This record gives sequence, structure tokens and C-alpha cells, in this order.
Amino acid sequence: MASKLVIDDTGYETEIPENSLKLGRPPADPEIIKAFIPGTIVAVRTKVGEKVREGDALLLLDAMKMHNEVCSTVNGVVRELLVTTGDKVEKGQLLIRLRKD
Amino acid sequence: MSIKKAINDFFGRVARLLKGGGDEALEKQKKQGKLSARERLDGILDPGSLFETDMFVEHSSTDFGMDSKKLAGDGVVTGFGMVDGRPVSIFAQDFTVAGGSLGRAHAGKIVKIMDASMARRIPLIGINDSGGARIQEGVDSLCGYGDIFYRNTMLSGVVPQLSLILGPCAGGAVYSPALTDFVFVVNKVSNMFITGPQVIKAVLGEEISQEELGGAMTQASITGNAHFYAESEYEAFDQIRKLLSFLPSNCLEPTPEHKPVDPSRPLKDNVIPEDRRKAFDVHDVIRGIVDGSDFLEVHRHYAGNIVVGFGRLAGRTVGIIANQPRVLAGVLDVNASDKAARFIRFCDAFSIPLLTFVDTPGYLPGVDQEHSGVIRHGAKLLYAYSEALVPKLTVIMRKAYGGAYIAMCSRHLGADFVIAWPTAEIAVMGSEGAANIIFRKEIMESADPDATRAEKVKEYETKFANPYVAASRGYVDMICPPGETRKALLNAMEYAGGTDPGNSFRRHGNIPL
Repeated sequence: MASKLVIDDTGYETEIPENSLKLGRPPADPEIIKAFIPGTIVAVRTKVGEKVREGDALLLLDAMKMHNEVCSTVNGVVRELLVTTGDKVEKGQLLIRLRKD
Repeated sequence: MSIKKAINDFFGRVARLLKGGGDEALEKQKKQGKLSARERLDGILDPGSLFETDMFVEHSSTDFGMDSKKLAGDGVVTGFGMVDGRPVSIFAQDFTVAGGSLGRAHAGKIVKIMDASMARRIPLIGINDSGGARIQEGVDSLCGYGDIFYRNTMLSGVVPQLSLILGPCAGGAVYSPALTDFVFVVNKVSNMFITGPQVIKAVLGEEISQEELGGAMTQASITGNAHFYAESEYEAFDQIRKLLSFLPSNCLEPTPEHKPVDPSRPLKDNVIPEDRRKAFDVHDVIRGIVDGSDFLEVHRHYAGNIVVGFGRLAGRTVGIIANQPRVLAGVLDVNASDKAARFIRFCDAFSIPLLTFVDTPGYLPGVDQEHSGVIRHGAKLLYAYSEALVPKLTVIMRKAYGGAYIAMCSRHLGADFVIAWPTAEIAVMGSEGAANIIFRKEIMESADPDATRAEKVKEYETKFANPYVAASRGYVDMICPPGETRKALLNAMEYAGGTDPGNSFRRHGNIPL
């Protein structure tokens, strides 16, 4: 595992254990909204083509006995709506595509 | 009842109780590769020294059919015993009895020996092997946990508290071990988590095995919840006995005195490589200094860029903290700061002098470190060293740069003596980085920037990459070659008085957590 770690322009020969130099998470794409938790869609409060503002509640997701509002991440237009009321969704499932103004 | 009958009746009862949950349950425990509660007590304590209490305790709950259930010792064996002739309090949860579940009577037995630990001021050893709260007892079970957590906290810093995880330890139950000083885990036996794989899958949709989530190596290497990892239960028992050999029984007692012996592998002057960019194993330095080259490493699998553990100098225990150039060049980061700070505070609580070995280029750069709170975590190390009242000795082997120089028990944080090797470089940063900043303009404007840079690096190196500037200010007390270090440390220990606590009016400080 011999490797080089550069600190203040000096390269040191050393071991770099797995996962010890995690880079920050890549920034999320604000034009897509995914389910952050598995659950059930209990209400849809928007439609394709609708103009929305950042923070507008677009869906209601029931999970862990709570109704969670799924909100718009941009000022723009709803491009695609991939779920309807009653759908069960997995964590990370794509719910909505938006287009930023 | 005649005397004889009464005595026979008594032996009959004892025989039944000694079987815990019965032959079948004991067989099942064995099949899972686990020792029984009583085998574990025998494995840790000096032969025949168990002095058991509360063998006949029973629960008094009546709900959900509990009134008809007899639970031997209510699922836990408690008492006292000797480790190398020194008294300890000990409990072992018995998984064969109702899954080692914790009810009020079970907790009451543990509480009783914890109180005895405080009164008699002897170490507490807890063996955890339990399915968790005894749900049939409802809030009484929670009361039991709370009573234990409270006492773990009150005992903290008074007597050493050791926890073995020898089975499941899940949910709220994990917080008793977490409050103690040292946690021991065993491969394929230990499991710790707040919420198990099923709950995680149901709530978050994430799939993970029990072993990956909270098994022994996970706890020893990823979370740092465990301080000692063993391949077998017997290896863990050896680790426990070895650890106790370094520790005083309580915060008022001196550490046990052992016969002073020279290191079997004395330190040579060539312990570090010629090329200052090359790594070496700091264990070689530690073993070359301590009595008999005997070093008990704590948190061996966690944050390998700093090494901590116990050794002896002239027969008395010292707590050792050392940057490890072999891993991540010995940088300080979030985990290394946490690891060292907690170890330092343990040593200070039990009057164990600190011996620090320095070779670090600084703090680890990166988004992950900054966003993980390296400021807050790094502060713990400064705080822990500064507040420690025990004698503090520091050996600067090579790089001691910037904030990391200050943090690694510099004179400025109250070190009694700072010893530097002739190879020490005490500076704000490495020569390359410093030259690139100070001489940026000259390097940029030069006809041959690389040659100018090399020349300036050399200039900075000659001026600052040594221990003499710091020594000229008195920040370094003495300079000696590696081979002379043990002798210098033995002298330093003789004359190091530590810090006078004075008459502090404050209740306690507020360490960044």
C-alpha cells in the first residue's frame, strides 16, 4: 500500500489506508428529486409543466409514520412526474425531474 | 427439615443455578462458539477466586406469564475476584438465561457490585452478552439500564472500567460499555449496534450484514468503539489481565510497580531513515525505549496514524502517544485527535505520566476532514494535553510542524521536559511549502524557477529544519541522539513533577466534544 501523501508541497512515502481520504460527496443535481427514505406517496401537489418555486411542496411521502413534504429544489418547471398517489417508493428512487429557469 | 436435608437441599439448588439456562441452552451457546458466563469468569479471574454474590436473586415480575418463569440468577452472574492477586468487581451476563435479557433484578445485581466497586475502589469488569431489555418488564428494565449508566459515569475516573462484548449488545445496552474506559471485542462473537440490520433495512432500505454493521472488526477499526480486538475469548482475557497489570486499582493509588528491565531491542541511532520523506514504524522507537520492549497498544486497528498504549519506564507505567509516519505520514486528523485525547484523559485521571513521540507534518487537508469537524475534534487534543496534570515528557524525533507541533504536547501546553533528536525539524511548515510561500516572487521571476526553488528550499531547510532554533528559545530542553533517549527519559521522569492542580474554583472545564 506504499503511496505518496503531499502535505505543504512535500510528498511523503507512506501507507494510505482505504477510506481514509474520502473526498466530499459530489454535489447533488438540483434538477432531479429522489426519495430520501422508502415509503408511500400519499399526495401529488403538482403536474407536468407547472411553474414551481424552490421550497414548494410537490409531493407528500409517508414514511416512518410521518408525512414528509418533498419540495422543489429549484425555481423552474416540472418536466417529468414519475409517481402517482399510492405508489410505494424505494430509497433513492427518482420521483421528479425539474428544469431550472 | 433436618440439618442434613437442608444442606442437601441447598446443594441441589446451587447445582441447578450453576447450570444457568440448562444443558440445552449451554450446548447452544457452545455451538455458537461462545463460552458460558461461568467459563468466562474462570478465564479472567485467578483460579478459584470468584466470590459470587446474589446467586439466588429472582425477578418478581408477573406480567405476560413471567410469574411462572424461573430465571437462574436472573440472567447474570455477579461478584468479585482476583486478577494477579488484585481485587476486582465483575459481572457476566448469561445468554442461556432468557437471552441474558436485562430486567430489574438483573440490573439490581450489577448495580450492587458497581456500588461495591466505588466503596472498595476496585476496577469493574463487565461481560456483555444480552439480547437487550427484558420487554415483559417494561419501564422497570429501562430503570435498570439508567441505574447502570449513572453508576458508570460516577465510577469514571475513580476506578478503571473494562467492558467485554461477548455476544450481542444492542440498543440502549451499548451505552454502558460506551461509558467505560476500555471495550474488548472478539472476532465472530461480538456485535454492537443501536439499530440492527432489519430495522435499518425497513427504515432506510439499506442492506448490511450484522457482522459488517457492528461486528468485532467494525467496532475496532471503523467506529473506534472497541479498544482491543481478539481472535478468541481467551485472547481477550489475556489482554484484560495484561491491561490491568499496567493500571492502578483506583485514582488514589499509584500504578503497580514492576521490576525495571532494559529494552530487549534498545534503540539505535539509525532508527529513522536518511531520507526525511521516507516513513518508519514508530513501534520500533517505542519498543526500543520501554522496559523489556513491552508495549500494550490500545486502539491498534483504529486511526493508525497515531499510536497509543502502555509501557513502563524504570518499572512504572507510562502512557505513550506517538505519531506514526508509516500511516498517512503521521498526520493529525479527526479520528487520531479523538483517539489520543481520550487516552490522555484516561492516563491523567489515573496518574499515569504521558510520554509523547512526535513526527508529524501537520493536519490532514481535505473537504472530508473540514466537514467532519477537524477543528472541533482537533481541539480535544490541545485540551486534553493542556489540562493533564501528570508529568508530561515529549520526544521530537523529526517533523514537528505548525499547529501539530503545538498540539503534540509541546512545552507550550505544559510539557515538563521536551527532548529533541538532532534530526528534529521544528518549524511552521516543511521547507518546500515554506519556500514556495516566502520566495514566491523570486521563484516566479527567476529565469530557472526550479533551480531557484531548490536553492530557497535548501536555504529554509538549513535555517529552520533543525531543533536548535526552538532550543535557543528554551522550547526544547535538551537534545540527544536516539540511542541516548531512554537514559534521558529515565532522568527526566525522575525530575518531572507534573502540574500542581492548585485550588481550582471551577467545577470542571468544558472540553470540546
